[in-house]
Amino acid sequence: MSDIKRRDFLKILGISGAGTGLVGCSQEPAQKLIPYLVRPEEIIPGIPNWYATVCRECPAGCGVHAKVREGRPIKVEGNPDHPVNAGRLCARGQASLQGLYNPDRIQSPLRRTESGEFEAISWDDAESLVAERLATLSASGQADRVYLISDGAVGTLDRLFDEWMSAIGSPNRLIHESFDVEPLREANRVTFGLADIPRYDLDAAELVVSFGAEFLETWVSPVQYTRLFAESHRFRNGQKGHFIHIGPRLSLTGANADEWVAASPTGAMLVALAMTRVLVTEGRAGARGAAIRPLVEAFTAERVAEAAGVEAETIERLAQAFAEAPSSIALPPGIATSHRNATAANVAVNLLNYAAGNLGRTVRFGPNVVRRQPTNLARWTEAAESMRSGAVQVAFVHGTDPVQTLPAALGISEALDNVDLVVSFSSFMDETTARADLILPDHTPLESWGDHEPEVGVRGLMQPTLNPVFDTRATGDVMLSLASRLGGAAASAFSHTDFASYLRDTWRAIHRDHAPQQAFDDFWRTSVQSGGAWRSAGTQAVTLNPAVAGVNFDEPAIDGDASTPYTLVVYPSPNLYDGRGANRPWLQELPDPVTKVVWNSWVEMHPAVAERLGVSNGDVVEISSPHGSVEAPVFVYHGIREDTIAIPIGQGHEHFGRWAQGRGVNPLALLPAAADESSGSIAWLSTHAAVTATGRRIQLVETQGSYDDRGREIAEVISLAAATEAEAHAAEEIEANPEELVETSQDADPKSPYRWGMAIDLSSCIGCSACVTACYAENNIPIVGEELAAQGREMAWIRVENYYEHLLEEAGHGESSGGTHGEDAGDPTHVVHLPMMCQQCGNAPCEPVCPVYATYHNPEGLNVQVYNRCVGTRYCANNCPYKARRFEWFDYDFPYPLNLQLNPDVTVREKGVMEKCTFCVQRIMSARDAAAHEGRDVADGEVTTACAQTCPAEAIVFGNLRDPHSRVSRLTRSGRSYHVLGELNTRPAITYLKDVSRGTEEA
Amino acid sequence: MASVAPPAGSTFGRVSRDIIGALWGADWRYKTLMAVLILILSWAGFAWVYQIKYGMGTAGITHPVMWGVYITNFVFWVGIAHSGTLISAILYLLRSGWRTTINRAAEAMTIFAVMTAGLFPLIHLGRIWYFYFLAPYPNQRFLWPNFRSPLVWDFFAISTYFTISLLFWYSGLIPDMATIRDKFRGATSRMARLKEKIYGTLALGWQGSDDQWKNYRRMYLYMAAIATPLVLSVHSVVSWDFAMAITPGWHSTIFAPYFVAGAIFSGIAMVITLSIPFRWALGLEDYINEYHYDNMGKLMLLTSLIVGYAYGAEYFMTWYSGDPIEMDSFTWRAIGAYRGPFAIMVTCNVLIPLLLFSRRIRRNIKVMFVISVFVNIGMWYERFVIIVTSLAHEYLPGAWGLYTPSWVELSITVGSFAWFLFWFMIFAKTLPAISITEVKESIAEGVWSPGDKKEDAS
Repeated sequence: MSDIKRRDFLKILGISGAGTGLVGCSQEPAQKLIPYLVRPEEIIPGIPNWYATVCRECPAGCGVHAKVREGRPIKVEGNPDHPVNAGRLCARGQASLQGLYNPDRIQSPLRRTESGEFEAISWDDAESLVAERLATLSASGQADRVYLISDGAVGTLDRLFDEWMSAIGSPNRLIHESFDVEPLREANRVTFGLADIPRYDLDAAELVVSFGAEFLETWVSPVQYTRLFAESHRFRNGQKGHFIHIGPRLSLTGANADEWVAASPTGAMLVALAMTRVLVTEGRAGARGAAIRPLVEAFTAERVAEAAGVEAETIERLAQAFAEAPSSIALPPGIATSHRNATAANVAVNLLNYAAGNLGRTVRFGPNVVRRQPTNLARWTEAAESMRSGAVQVAFVHGTDPVQTLPAALGISEALDNVDLVVSFSSFMDETTARADLILPDHTPLESWGDHEPEVGVRGLMQPTLNPVFDTRATGDVMLSLASRLGGAAASAFSHTDFASYLRDTWRAIHRDHAPQQAFDDFWRTSVQSGGAWRSAGTQAVTLNPAVAGVNFDEPAIDGDASTPYTLVVYPSPNLYDGRGANRPWLQELPDPVTKVVWNSWVEMHPAVAERLGVSNGDVVEISSPHGSVEAPVFVYHGIREDTIAIPIGQGHEHFGRWAQGRGVNPLALLPAAADESSGSIAWLSTHAAVTATGRRIQLVETQGSYDDRGREIAEVISLAAATEAEAHAAEEIEANPEELVETSQDADPKSPYRWGMAIDLSSCIGCSACVTACYAENNIPIVGEELAAQGREMAWIRVENYYEHLLEEAGHGESSGGTHGEDAGDPTHVVHLPMMCQQCGNAPCEPVCPVYATYHNPEGLNVQVYNRCVGTRYCANNCPYKARRFEWFDYDFPYPLNLQLNPDVTVREKGVMEKCTFCVQRIMSARDAAAHEGRDVADGEVTTACAQTCPAEAIVFGNLRDPHSRVSRLTRSGRSYHVLGELNTRPAITYLKDVSRGTEEA
Repeated sequence: MASVAPPAGSTFGRVSRDIIGALWGADWRYKTLMAVLILILSWAGFAWVYQIKYGMGTAGITHPVMWGVYITNFVFWVGIAHSGTLISAILYLLRSGWRTTINRAAEAMTIFAVMTAGLFPLIHLGRIWYFYFLAPYPNQRFLWPNFRSPLVWDFFAISTYFTISLLFWYSGLIPDMATIRDKFRGATSRMARLKEKIYGTLALGWQGSDDQWKNYRRMYLYMAAIATPLVLSVHSVVSWDFAMAITPGWHSTIFAPYFVAGAIFSGIAMVITLSIPFRWALGLEDYINEYHYDNMGKLMLLTSLIVGYAYGAEYFMTWYSGDPIEMDSFTWRAIGAYRGPFAIMVTCNVLIPLLLFSRRIRRNIKVMFVISVFVNIGMWYERFVIIVTSLAHEYLPGAWGLYTPSWVELSITVGSFAWFLFWFMIFAKTLPAISITEVKESIAEGVWSPGDKKEDAS
């Protein structure tokens, strides 16, 4: 006993105690807040400033507001006043913040050294290096050996590029826009003599027949078209628009159709022609019919049926429906089915619209889409040839990544290697930039001055929302500086030294155009404040162009022979667009809206094909076309024809930062350098491919467990008739008792003026998942990566579940509504998108089981989660029937400067705590505080959650259930309302409105 | 090791010599085993520290299977903890004479099993450094635990059970402590004097007077009466962790009796599994023999039948309820991704124990050992199946997911067995593994004496 002395004992006790303590001590130490010594005038700590600017993630040009806290933009939201997106924003737009704060951004000018590595240089050195080279070329009269490759956005920077190029004397501007609409433009020129892209008024059309346009995901202006589509397609007042999708594959857009006509990959054109013929021959086209009759005479439904892969009766039926609909639209083919005769296919759709009298009614020229005409394939080929031959001395690349987004067969990559000096202005090490000799990183759009004209009459204005994060410089400034360094004609062409004033002066013309009565300074200020200037554009009258008679509707050539049995469809990824989203972890981790796959590429094939090949999800197959081959895992999909396979574009980067590189495949490696013959636009549908199993297998990470709701009435669908009846009944009820509160309004403190609730209309929801990314941005949700996502550890507080199911009995269908029934899924043409998050139950199963009251019911009816109190028993998550709870399995990293995006109003959770949707309680608090300052309650519409705010289809409505007149109360009392798993008596605060099915026989 | 056969004396003397002789004096086998156990324990400790440092993600649990082998182990070890009190208390009240030679070891097992089980709620906590939030301790914010939560009930149920079991075990030890103390009375070596002192202290001044015996017997009877309801309550409360939840596959009124029967089933199996090598190693074959295994076999058979009935009843009630979600859950349990564990569970817990209908098998110690091991495996899997399959396949099909244990969880699971055995090994060498007093009582009452296998008993 005397072996241990008292002092030793105390020492041991101390050391072991400290050791035990240390183990758990990975919590961040407390940091002190340092107040401003001299407070900037506009910044009040804790109060956000909002700056209007333009989203530049795709050419659609949505207006956005950047929410800036203490000098850092932390969230972007749609600009409610902007005519394009009316306050809504897609996932890609939300993720623009991760472009700004991307840790893999190029942080300063870089020069390639002899060894091939990049080294940082100063801006001065970099600019003089370029200026010297240009001066040499200029002096020797070789200025035309300078090329400038840029995107197709129309705006002041584009104007500067034009002026700059002509100032130095080079005509060689190449415009590259990955997904252009040139076939449509050309078709409009041929059909109507107007080389423009019209506005399709989807909100005014009761019948939409799409021949492939991916208008809900990437085509032209997806947020705008989603909004317009939802306007007519959601169930309201007994009405619901009808949408028929014609094409080889169900894209996200197609998955929202009421009917899928699985035409062959090139069949859409034939279907359009045959439909037009029916309209014309049956006299439905009136006087217009005579002019186009000779064009379509030959295309009888019977004749085209086989080639189009659609039965003649179906074509007849579609044509009848199209003729009978009070208002209709035929939408042109999209990117995925743009083939070598795409212009003709667009002409065919134009003819159908023309025959139905839609021009000027639902298809309106006037508010046209504004895009620069991209360089066509012939010119690209020629340019690539010049580069290869060494004739190109300097190539500038801005805002585009041609190496990644043009078919590999074009050889842009090698061509650039032979250019003496490739200067990239990219913010990221993309595939093109990785081949550059000099990188002069531009600001990201949120740091830039600029403007963008997405459609006639709409001019969005961009302003910097923060000081540049890194040592970058606006490309406009660089060009102006280069011009002045060059001296002579180039310098005298420009009177400005910085792009901001150049921009401001450019706007003098816009001022004259928009508001000449206003003083320019006022106009400028209001434009900066409101995010631009816009006015409505009138509708242009349209007549048929006689030249249309010469259109050749031949079947386009598709490469390949008997050894390549499948038609290869490559399609733009809804999340990653052309690949530019691949370095944004939010977009990588956002489940693909159709397949629910994250962080990878896949090849979609029909179950019958998969069975023939003996493969299933995750089996790696080799896809080979006559032009190349790639390996990708299989995704078995019912929504694709048996003769077709499909691969999304967007992955397969060799560079482009930690999240993009080495991930998935780029299917452009399989394509020939082929173009639509008339417009010269890339023919994406141009080759067949063979599929062979490799025997290897990977885990293809899908975030959804099963796609079959097993009759559990989770994702409910009712027929149009039943919905109409139920809604009418409910409307009477509401009229009779307008002050009646919904039942779930009780589940809060009796004294509280609020019981927060939500209504989600499944007939509006298109499944785009913008809500998911908005939630990530608002609530500091960590990104876990592919490996953890494979284990089911993704942290999304809101997810969109896809349920494929048979129509319910009420809809008048048995189980034979078409499609193949797999072991795990119902009818692929009827997918219901179900946004699922914490239901803020009134009688929440999670609450009683928590041993420490970390989750409890607050006086306003919310299930709140107290992170500080949570010990992590995870019992609450086990007891949550909605599986809405997420657990912090690790401490997750927000690598600098990604951490600058974190919302200061929301805790960054530490490992070991449970978390979930809070109904954006921080937003509620600030609205409540603001209202309290004015001595009133929060008004309806004054506060909304991040998901509801961004929803392009306005499917989510948030509000106070204790206000009988609030929108959410009205919707909750709808005849279509139901609670998911309501039979468990959880009393959810979220009411879903059943999806409405039209059934096919009405068509 | 009783290395030297004692000279024939009185039977009582022989009992003392045999049982006390098995104490102390560890040989190389004992030391090797202990070394291995400590090695495993260190590895498991490392795994635990690793988990605390990096987060629960190092375990395999994930959305939606938030509870995995940790809670499986917890329920399993609480189950193991049942046999001790059952054998000591209930069989004592029922005057079952055959309990006398196994109750001590079974009670020790109970204590150690609770000590093992009690670790798992801590191991599985996301933030173990705040474990004290679970206890009702005074704090300036007046925060109390949520008494509606079954986890808080667990906390009380298990701590009560542990306290009572420990006291009950200790009360049984008092006369034996005195016996050991007396054996060292007058010894001269330092070690022997120390032992006399320790055991003497533990004997609480036991003299064996009539008064003491009278009070002692009454106290023991009351303790048995207090402990008896705990046998039923503890696992009932543990089962409510599941039954009170709304998860299909958990939410069932049959859970309390089903879990209690299962607990006794697994507890008896563990007693058999442990006692067979133990009687051999300590040379106590005469004391624990075919007679005892026959009886334990009967008890195991009974509880196996109850457990089998519960399996059937669960399926029947699910079918009878007509609830499609629950039916789906139960169908999936049998034929889904975890059909392997389900098959192991049914085979080990229902089919194999049917062999126990045969008296010959019950009296064949080798076969009994094998059966008991199967039952242990089966019962571990039963808990795994109940926990994991129910969570993996809940209400929303879109949220279904699977679970595979990680190396951390497996290390800690193996470590828990090492932890349990570690304590049991210490027990075997420091405390009389068989109740000296009660064996002597049996002999005195002519109920049973060492070596009697009661071959002719019906």
